[in-house]
Amino acid sequence: MEKFSFKDILVLIAGLFITAGVAYAILTVTGFIPTDIAKLFYEGAFVGQRNILNTLNIATPYILTSVATVISFRVGMFNIGINGSMYVGALYAAWAGYRFTTLGHLSHVSLCIFIGMLVGALWMLMPALLRVYAGVSEIISTIILNFVAVLFVSYMCNGPFRAAPIAPTTARILETAELKQYFPNSEFHTGFFIAVFVAFAAYFVLNKTTFGYELRSGGDGLVGFYPSRYSSYLGIPSDRSAITGMLISGAIGGLAGAVIVLGNTRNFYQEMAFNQGFDGILIAIIGKLEPLGGLISSLFYAALKNGGLFVDYKTEVSREIVVILMSILIFFVSAQKIVSSLERFEFVKKLDKFFSRKVK
Amino acid sequence: MNKKQKELAIEVKGITKSYPGVVANKSVDFTVNKGEIHALVGENGAGKSTLMKILYGIEQPDEGEVSVNGNVVQINKVDAAIKLGIGMVHQEFHLVPSFTAAENIGLGEEPRNSNGLINWDKLNKDVSEIAEKYGLDVDPNLRMIDASVGVQQRTEILKTLYRNADILILDEPTAVLTPQETDELFQVIRSLVDEGKTVIFITHKLREVMEISDRVTVMRDGEVQGVSETKKTSVKELANLMVGREVFLQVKKEKSKPTDVVLEVKDLWVHDARGLVAVKGVNFEVAKGEIVGIAGVDGNGQTELVEALAGLRDTSRGEILFEGKNIEKNSPRQRRREGLAHIPEDRSNTGLNVRLAIWENLIGTSYFRSPLSRGGIVSMKNILRHSNELRETFDIRSPGVTIRAGSLSGGNQQKVVVARELSEEPALTIASQPTRGVDIGNIEAIHEQIVEIRDSGKAVLLISAELDEVMSVADRVGVIYEGEFVEWVDPSKVNQEQMGLYMAGIKG
Ligand SMILES: Nc1ncnc2c1ncn2[C@@H]1O[C@H](COP(=O)(O)OP(=O)(O)O)[C@@H](O)[C@H]1O
Ligand SMILES: [Mg+2]
Repeated sequence: MEKFSFKDILVLIAGLFITAGVAYAILTVTGFIPTDIAKLFYEGAFVGQRNILNTLNIATPYILTSVATVISFRVGMFNIGINGSMYVGALYAAWAGYRFTTLGHLSHVSLCIFIGMLVGALWMLMPALLRVYAGVSEIISTIILNFVAVLFVSYMCNGPFRAAPIAPTTARILETAELKQYFPNSEFHTGFFIAVFVAFAAYFVLNKTTFGYELRSGGDGLVGFYPSRYSSYLGIPSDRSAITGMLISGAIGGLAGAVIVLGNTRNFYQEMAFNQGFDGILIAIIGKLEPLGGLISSLFYAALKNGGLFVDYKTEVSREIVVILMSILIFFVSAQKIVSSLERFEFVKKLDKFFSRKVK
Repeated sequence: MNKKQKELAIEVKGITKSYPGVVANKSVDFTVNKGEIHALVGENGAGKSTLMKILYGIEQPDEGEVSVNGNVVQINKVDAAIKLGIGMVHQEFHLVPSFTAAENIGLGEEPRNSNGLINWDKLNKDVSEIAEKYGLDVDPNLRMIDASVGVQQRTEILKTLYRNADILILDEPTAVLTPQETDELFQVIRSLVDEGKTVIFITHKLREVMEISDRVTVMRDGEVQGVSETKKTSVKELANLMVGREVFLQVKKEKSKPTDVVLEVKDLWVHDARGLVAVKGVNFEVAKGEIVGIAGVDGNGQTELVEALAGLRDTSRGEILFEGKNIEKNSPRQRRREGLAHIPEDRSNTGLNVRLAIWENLIGTSYFRSPLSRGGIVSMKNILRHSNELRETFDIRSPGVTIRAGSLSGGNQQKVVVARELSEEPALTIASQPTRGVDIGNIEAIHEQIVEIRDSGKAVLLISAELDEVMSVADRVGVIYEGEFVEWVDPSKVNQEQMGLYMAGIKG
């Protein structure tokens, strides 16, 4: 993979400025005072304990789904089905949360997380096997499985797992299964630490272990979009790598769902609408398909989101404007052509060299 | 020489171009006469492609000026080059695999009907006409996925002709071709020049330079070393200019002293990807201290034989004995562990993962061992030290080992593969086309390494479509034709013509 370089940062900053410019224009035209809105936006994302905690809380599932994306993409499997894993992981974490009644706190939480991850992983087993043994594109099968997941969980919490007669929800999980919320004014919970840990663990495994090398040897990145024969030529069982990568990716997707249920909602209900599995792909690509890049972009993305929510809540500015701005920004950040065209400027080249030397 | 021929098609003055860490062109002067075949030769990394990319508007020079047909021009994008009548066929083809030849050729320039839709009939007709005029044998309706490398290349040439190119740049066109395809290409080049086109032909095979070109320019380390009429120079002189020192075109080696048999192949049958029999019951042995060569035109079962030996393809019958043990059921990893190394013919998708860094490609056979890793955790410090050592020993030209292998030139990619495989000091090295696309100086180095392995008492199986290579490096040569050995020869006792007959399947 190409690593982050100074050019990327330059484009990001330029993108931020242009996005701010567009925001300024839109807000002025619609009769708001842009500087006031910007202040609110900033306040909502970063100022005060409550807002900071909320930003971190929003980031939690994004960190996990982006890491899940990174892992599958880098073994050469284009897993678009992380959202599906999230759904089934969340559902079964909730089930384990109310079903096992005799456990202590640590063992119960661990069991729920384990079950969420296991189910999330199993959800990816079929597309992985189909790809390796029948050549079915995992892109197609995982997209389809996303729909299946939505219908499946909706059936389950209407039917077998339904607890309340009035609404399609599962029972509330027991207190022993809860991920702790530390502050009265925010839903911020232990899941954040789990997510950060997973990002670092993924970074370590992918880059610092022989297992990670074997996983990546047939894939590693978007370029080309085809698996290399290199790994099987070396005698690394590349089929096994592909399957393992998919399962790990699914497990982390399941974990993303599980931490939401165990830490935020405390039950699973039919209206639960996840999209973090999809946004995670975007975030992972912005993070250059590096686990820690995914971590940083998730925090960034969550800050934008939370700032937007705050503006929405405090003013008449509609929430949609945030979506528009975010799209513009992402458009710039992912515009590789712009990044590479910067090479023609001498000072960019020099800075680039300077920074890459530092990294080494 | 008449006056018309003296007119300059291209004149380049004082071109300098640097990339981060390298100066790819250093005040280069380069001229091409109208209507000539101009060979541009130089080792990998000499700056040939860079110069051509500047002519074709892909790269912008830092300094210097370009004139085309006598006028100073700014070629700041490819469109500008095309308008000036320049066409380029890149080292790596730029074709849409799922499109037909005609669709690829017309892409972006399709003829339209009055209703604005693409006029496929006209496109096909135009393509066939051009193809016929220059003897370029291409079926307009053939999809590029199904086309051989030769056909793909002809399609690329047609693409430039369809855009009315008068000056054609062919960047190492023969690197990927079989000898027959090369001959066909030369006929095409001659007919292009007969029709008044100008051809710049990049290669590092000096025999081709002598055969086809009118004039030749030699580059080394970004600088022009000399320009000459081809008639007035020699292979020896060109080689020395290219490499910058005396080159020995003949491999220097003592007589081999074979000892114990390492590899024994008995009645081996192998099928190809389409299920057809590719290897038909071959028998041979390779002993310690000898280099056994397999000569033959590409596609006579060499690929399948090598893959079967390396564990990448199932055999359908027969035995492969390695140091007396049957290894037929062993995985590639197990075979490597027992001392079998493999330099594959397809380096960009098998020998390397071009998306990985150079160091990641260098450790493919050793990453699981101390000191590169301990208990499953890799030691970056030791890996980088090991990789940098290999980079120096095998003279891999790159700014460092952390850049992607895909950004290296073909010859340097090959050196990465060779470095990784030979660093294991294997009992048997299977080297398949080890110098394909590699320049003279490096070919010499690779050949020396192969002889060195032999002299240290190891065995080598060398498979090559380059007759010169097998004949000068190997101690014993089997000629393969349609999956069977026609004859085993002592290369010092047989001449080229006789070998040519064997390669055509004609015995005795
Ligand atoms: N896009 C690039 N970025 C950085 N270095 C490059 C690039 N293209 C070529 N180079 C370097 O420039 C030198 C000349 O390369 P090239 O013109 O491709 O050589 P040739 O075609 O003669 O083999 C080499 O050292 C190569 O590594
Ligand atoms: Mg080149």
